[in-house]
Amino acid sequence: MQTFLEIDHISKTFPGVKALSDVHFDIYPGEVHSLVGENGAGKSTLIKIMSGVYQPDEGGTIRINGKETKIHNAMDAIRQGIAVIYQDFSLFGNLSVAENIVINQVIEKNRQVLNWKEIRKKAAEALRIVGADISPLETLENLSVAKQQMVAIASAVAQKAQMIIMDEPTSALSTTEVETLYGIIEKLKAENIAVMFVSHKMDELFRISDRFTVFRDGQYIRSCKKEEIDRGGLISLMVGRKIEFDSLANPVQNPEVVLEVSHLSKKGNFKDVSFELHKGEILGITGLVGAGRSEMVQALFGLNRPDSGSVKIDGKEAHIDNTWSAVDAGIGYIPESRQTQGLVLDKSVAENIALPQLKKYTGKFGFVNRKKQKETVGEWVEKLDVRPRNEELLAMQLSGGNQQKVVLAKWIATNAKILIVDEPTNGVDVGAKSEIHKILRQLADQGTSLIVISSELPEILAVSDRILVMRRGRISGEFVNKDLTQELIMDKAVVS
Amino acid sequence: MVKSLVKKREFTIFMIVVVIAVVIAISNSVFLRPDNIIDVLKSNSVIGIMALGMLPVLISGGIDVSVSSTIALCAVISGKLLTISGANLFVVLIVSIAVGAAVGLANGLIISKLKISPIVATLGTMSIVLGAVLYWTNGEWITNLPEDFKSFGTATVAGIPIQVIIFIALIAVTALILKYTLVGRGVYAIGGSTSSAVRVGYNVDKIQTLIYVFTGMTVGLAAVVHTSIVQQVDPNTFTGLEMDVIACVVIGGASTMGGSGSVTGTVLGVLLMAIMKNGLILARIPTYWQDIVVGLIIVFAVSIDVLNRNREQEKLVRVDVEE
Repeated sequence: MQTFLEIDHISKTFPGVKALSDVHFDIYPGEVHSLVGENGAGKSTLIKIMSGVYQPDEGGTIRINGKETKIHNAMDAIRQGIAVIYQDFSLFGNLSVAENIVINQVIEKNRQVLNWKEIRKKAAEALRIVGADISPLETLENLSVAKQQMVAIASAVAQKAQMIIMDEPTSALSTTEVETLYGIIEKLKAENIAVMFVSHKMDELFRISDRFTVFRDGQYIRSCKKEEIDRGGLISLMVGRKIEFDSLANPVQNPEVVLEVSHLSKKGNFKDVSFELHKGEILGITGLVGAGRSEMVQALFGLNRPDSGSVKIDGKEAHIDNTWSAVDAGIGYIPESRQTQGLVLDKSVAENIALPQLKKYTGKFGFVNRKKQKETVGEWVEKLDVRPRNEELLAMQLSGGNQQKVVLAKWIATNAKILIVDEPTNGVDVGAKSEIHKILRQLADQGTSLIVISSELPEILAVSDRILVMRRGRISGEFVNKDLTQELIMDKAVVS
Repeated sequence: MVKSLVKKREFTIFMIVVVIAVVIAISNSVFLRPDNIIDVLKSNSVIGIMALGMLPVLISGGIDVSVSSTIALCAVISGKLLTISGANLFVVLIVSIAVGAAVGLANGLIISKLKISPIVATLGTMSIVLGAVLYWTNGEWITNLPEDFKSFGTATVAGIPIQVIIFIALIAVTALILKYTLVGRGVYAIGGSTSSAVRVGYNVDKIQTLIYVFTGMTVGLAAVVHTSIVQQVDPNTFTGLEMDVIACVVIGGASTMGGSGSVTGTVLGVLLMAIMKNGLILARIPTYWQDIVVGLIIVFAVSIDVLNRNREQEKLVRVDVEE
């Protein structure tokens, strides 16, 4: 049988990072082929190449129905029969279901005047093929997430897509809604439409896939039929990233508990989260993207108010309603996206570091004492080895790794007792990663208690004393970091 | 269920219009007299026309504060054409609309191509255009408009002033554009999600530019309509008009964050503002109070809009929690 799509030797290089390296993927009409891999394995990059968002490096080939082709842009991908159901669906909440389904075609055919009767008819037809019981007249934002997803799929069907890429389609669905989605995928197969499925959930992967392809670190690992592999086999293909860091775990636990979280819940964010954090300990929290890790720690820092549960600091009930009370309680938080949330890019290193505690440098009349600020800050720039060693440089002039050091310095300078670090080495090169790991460990040795969130298993294994695994908003596993493997952690992170 | 939310919103505005009308009618018998009603409609047709032009801007998530300067420019040009060369009405109308369109084109290109935020871009053109107008005219009035233009100003069709007829015609045109043209649907799409609009293939830059050109054209039309009512041109009279115009559209249910708004709502918003002002005048309340009332209404309408959005955001499920 002729493949619908076949890609060979495709690579994609971004400045400083090779996101995909010589990968292969093919898919047949009416087949469900799942792309599997950890966060950062290169799945999204491949999807973006297939959908025309990125252009691959020179040298690879893309064939559609056996003919070599190029996918120039998003419109071109649709024209060649490839549709993507993005996690955010790319729909318009303010418009009707019918318009959302059919507008692509109206634009494609460049019809300047709309025939609403025809649009509603076409939309109803597409909804019928998908088997969705939705009125074409309804405004999209009034629908549940599951129904909005059906609309997105119906839209792909209406565009005569021959291949539909579903990126983590079940991540926001309830169990019954997932069943409905399986039904829809069966209907698509019956229409001879190929479905490329991206998911982390083992049960659904084995339930609906015909074949798997595994990526790891931007490389093609293996393709195989569902019958040829089992769950454990698939997990071990996914994990085992080669990057290794020196283990910095400290086996001795200080009995003093500084933070005690009990039964913390927030609807649609996390549920029944309980754990303790000891003095001088590094507690690693891992899990897949979307497991509720960031949402949970943001609750500890007063950014995301929980519905129920309690937080105790040094044995005393803490009421953290906003970031000020969190800082007063001795908590520091370093968010995931340092460029947008952690740094003021067009201010100097000194000003950034001084920001959380400006009061210290402020004189009688509310003006900042620059000299005093510079002296204190200079000390930190030196301690954390920020390069170049010039506190007057603008934050945007530093490399990613050094920016991250500035963010660390900013919060360390507040003498926080508890420091929460979300993805500390995101977008930082390997050398700087180990340096940052060492800084985190030094802090812990000096008595600071740290919560480190990371999706990178090698990193979590290198820095943590204990590890919590989160899955779908709950804590699904807790380990002391001794004789642990990536497989053991991954097993708790994926849904069984 | 059909568009229940939008319908409900417009129904609410309609009910407020009715309630206020009843209150004013009870306290002052003049209000419901046909000549008062026609007068109110006539004098508010200018704001109405400009509000229809502002509507697509707000739907797309933008704003245009330059309309008050642009109408001054168009009115001055119309006035000069009428007095100096005695051009016929049709030519004056075309020129005025073309000048408005040109300012709109400048706004649209600055916003879509240079990616400068609409408030900054139109504040800039507002200042430039008004400065140019005042430099050119020294703020002097243009009077002595020709007789045939005066008779156009007082013309009626079946007892309805020509200005109101023009307003009604523009209501129909705007409604048709927004509902039945691809560009009109693009306006809603951009307001709903610009990134999705790009992904489905809308030419976002082009549509954005056209939106501001349309606004400019309605302003050019409004300039001639205004001149026909007052029969003179005072370059300084339009200052602050942009707030009244934006207020009408926002009161009519258009979100300042884009994505929603309708012609029906905007017309109701214009009516609401019109009868409120008329009520204040009939009650002999000083005109300064009008500005305060308008300001309060804008803050109120926008606050409700923002609060609603925040509440919806808060309800969003971020993680599929295992129950």
